[in-house]
Amino acid sequence: MRKLFAGLAAVVLLAVGTAPAQAAEPGKPKVVRVGATQAMDSMNPFLAVRLVSSSIHRWMYGFLTVPDAKTLQPSPDLAESWTTSPDGLTWTFKIRQTNWSDGQPLTAEDAAWTFNKMMTDDGAKTANGPAVENFASVSASGQDLTIKLKSPQASMLDNPVPIMPKHVWEKVGDIAKYDAETYPAVTSGPYIAVEHKKDQYVKLKANPGYWRGAPKIDELQMIFYDNPAAAVVGLKKGDIDLLGRLAPPDFEALKGDGNIVQWNQQGRRATYLQINHGATTSDNKPIGDGHPALKDPKVRQALHLAIDKQKLVDEVQNGLAKPADGSIVPPMYKDFFWQAEGEEKISFDVAKANQILDAAGYKKGADGIRTMPDGSRKLQFRFSIHTDTPIEDKLAEYLTGWFKDLGIALTTKRLDSSKFTEETGTTALFDIAISGWSVNPDPEEVLATHLCSRRPTASGEGGGTESFYCDPQYEQLYQQQLKELDRTKRAGIIKQMLERLYTDAPVIALYYPNDLEGYRKDRIASITPIPEDNGILYGGSGYWPFYTVEAVTTDTAETGGSNTGVIVGAGIGVIVLAGVAFFLVRRRGGVADDRE
Amino acid sequence: MSVTWTRRKRSLLRFWADYRGHKAGVVGLAVLLVAVLLALIAPLFIDAGVTNVVRGTGEKLAPPSWDAPLGTDESGRSVLLMVWWGSRTSLLIGFLAALLSMVIGTVLGIVAGHFRGWIGAVVLRVTDWFLVLPSLVTALVLAAILGGSTTTIIVAIGVTSWPSTARLIRAQTLAVEARPYIERSTALGGGHWHITTRHVLPNVAPLLLASTTLEVASAIVTESTLAFLGISANKTSWGTMLRGSYDWGAATSGAWWYILVPGLCIVTVVMAFTLCGRALETVLNPRLRSAR
Repeated sequence: MRKLFAGLAAVVLLAVGTAPAQAAEPGKPKVVRVGATQAMDSMNPFLAVRLVSSSIHRWMYGFLTVPDAKTLQPSPDLAESWTTSPDGLTWTFKIRQTNWSDGQPLTAEDAAWTFNKMMTDDGAKTANGPAVENFASVSASGQDLTIKLKSPQASMLDNPVPIMPKHVWEKVGDIAKYDAETYPAVTSGPYIAVEHKKDQYVKLKANPGYWRGAPKIDELQMIFYDNPAAAVVGLKKGDIDLLGRLAPPDFEALKGDGNIVQWNQQGRRATYLQINHGATTSDNKPIGDGHPALKDPKVRQALHLAIDKQKLVDEVQNGLAKPADGSIVPPMYKDFFWQAEGEEKISFDVAKANQILDAAGYKKGADGIRTMPDGSRKLQFRFSIHTDTPIEDKLAEYLTGWFKDLGIALTTKRLDSSKFTEETGTTALFDIAISGWSVNPDPEEVLATHLCSRRPTASGEGGGTESFYCDPQYEQLYQQQLKELDRTKRAGIIKQMLERLYTDAPVIALYYPNDLEGYRKDRIASITPIPEDNGILYGGSGYWPFYTVEAVTTDTAETGGSNTGVIVGAGIGVIVLAGVAFFLVRRRGGVADDRE
Repeated sequence: MSVTWTRRKRSLLRFWADYRGHKAGVVGLAVLLVAVLLALIAPLFIDAGVTNVVRGTGEKLAPPSWDAPLGTDESGRSVLLMVWWGSRTSLLIGFLAALLSMVIGTVLGIVAGHFRGWIGAVVLRVTDWFLVLPSLVTALVLAAILGGSTTTIIVAIGVTSWPSTARLIRAQTLAVEARPYIERSTALGGGHWHITTRHVLPNVAPLLLASTTLEVASAIVTESTLAFLGISANKTSWGTMLRGSYDWGAATSGAWWYILVPGLCIVTVVMAFTLCGRALETVLNPRLRSAR
């Protein structure tokens, strides 16, 4: 019951808090409100793993480097400059002379403390543990940060760890249990978090002392919604000013609203099929119940040939994607993107796929379904997808249709996300599964998800594999690119790895979904995506969009008369909201009780 | 032999004469026969290919036209053909789930009514427990655990909807067993099996028929609900069509045909089953009959 009133009070506070802001006179704080359909998992950057949390932390804290707004290549952030020893094992970063938002100077000590904390405290590894795995030691003197590595690592300049203020965080006892809910937060980035109401909003004020200069708006708010439909309505009504990561149907629902800009640009994600090609554990013992036919590269190639990617893009993604003729790195990353050409390129050709299967001895039975060459099993595969994802459902319908023409029966298996992760990442109880990855400017992490070492251990501990792939050639190339500090040469090696994934087909890339967003042009005057020419607003790999965002100044349209209306409306809104919240909170309380 | 046959024939004719008196029941029966007939003959005209997205060549969400008399869905498939083919899944699941629920309900109901001791008490408590379980939630959880196939959906609906049948059958069993001829039969050496199958079962059968007919209606609705909530048998049914219309924004794009057609199909068939069931109940239930 107490929970109920707390929730109710919070909603009323929220409504009261935001309503007058809309009705204020010119000279009022410039506020930009961003919607999200995910809630914060933690305000503690050592623990937060969700995209929404890492975005907010990106706006709050500085990093060693930041992807350049134009080229996405690493550029200086808190580290002004850096040098590498000839063997590539010692990196020295010169930390910028600047202050934390509480006035304390920022030194290399802070960075060293952050990395050392992660290296020594397992609790601090939750969010970005792999980033320090290769660190041998980190030390600081003045503004100089020295990192010694165990082995060369080319992705050093794409370090995802926010630098934390030592003088505040060293007082924290158990970092794994710390929720970091102290406001205002002490930060070094463009914004300072000043308030967080769980599952409702996070408010960030501009950091006046930010070394690049304060942002052009005064306040940035992140408003959380339960589901995308509610968030879209929120954007249409003007409760929020920007909403990212839209599904194609939601994006199309924004059509025709004169105040909303539909943002449709290339994305940083690849959608692909993960094929159980004979999953093994990290000690090379078979695991799971994958269909034996999928071990045959010819079958995988036939499946690849039977997929009309352009049709998938048109029908499943409403045309808002790019068919993938490459692999898991999307074309946004021009330096690393690879696509098949000429002979190697696999284009939709069911007849050819059938020929391959006929030649390999998979004979069609009376029911039109093929059997293994030794007649032991029919070619009946399961396709694992998530529950409640219309797009994946539709995708499954198309694959089922095409594979049927190959004489392969496909049945769809819908799993909730934790079970899905378990069956496709650890226990290998799948044949074909949907998969995808949002790729960072440095593709090392996504490439690593196909390494032998990422396979689960014999005891079933997940290692984060995306394919159970283990291929000597791929491993070797991976080690090579790690040591290659020349960006062009490294990109060449990475392209060979992508080619290997394409031809061996443990994963089959389907398409690269576009980045679909919407923002209100009556509220946001300008916003720069990352990368600048054709990129992402929310969820991108840098703080640029929300650092450069400019709000519309409201002294033009609003007249004095409308204020009363707005205030009355806000009053009614508060009452309605309170009522709705009352029922929602009560209902949610009920559900929570059920679970206990 | 011939005597029993004449008797059965006569009682059947009497039943039909009674049933005919219920206009609504006759209408319901007619609708049902047409629906079942259509579902059965569907394979003579079309095949599962009409639900295959790869074969959907029409325009997306196109309004009714000569090519697609009831419009098309988000992948250009004809809504008319999909509804026709989907009726097979919906009706099959409806009938089989009702049958399963009837079998479980009858066995447990008779056991609970016949064995008055602790066995009856235990069975009754179990029935009560299932009765208070929110059946939709239970079916959802069951279907989610068992995975999506026609069988699992049937099982999920069947095992959650039997308690009311069991309750009904138990009450009727108690009433039947209170009659003197049961006592006479026991005295003549009739065992549990003889009494339950030869005396109780035939007496509860009419009631069971009526109850099952109503059960089919609710099973079809449950199947559609489950499909709408995302738990389906991977086959086109009326429920999955409604789900599709919701997922692909038929309402916002004004594609009324996509929502209305499967919805009306569900309403019509469920209504028909209900009308039949009510009519049967009035004809067969001795208590309702005497009240008339």
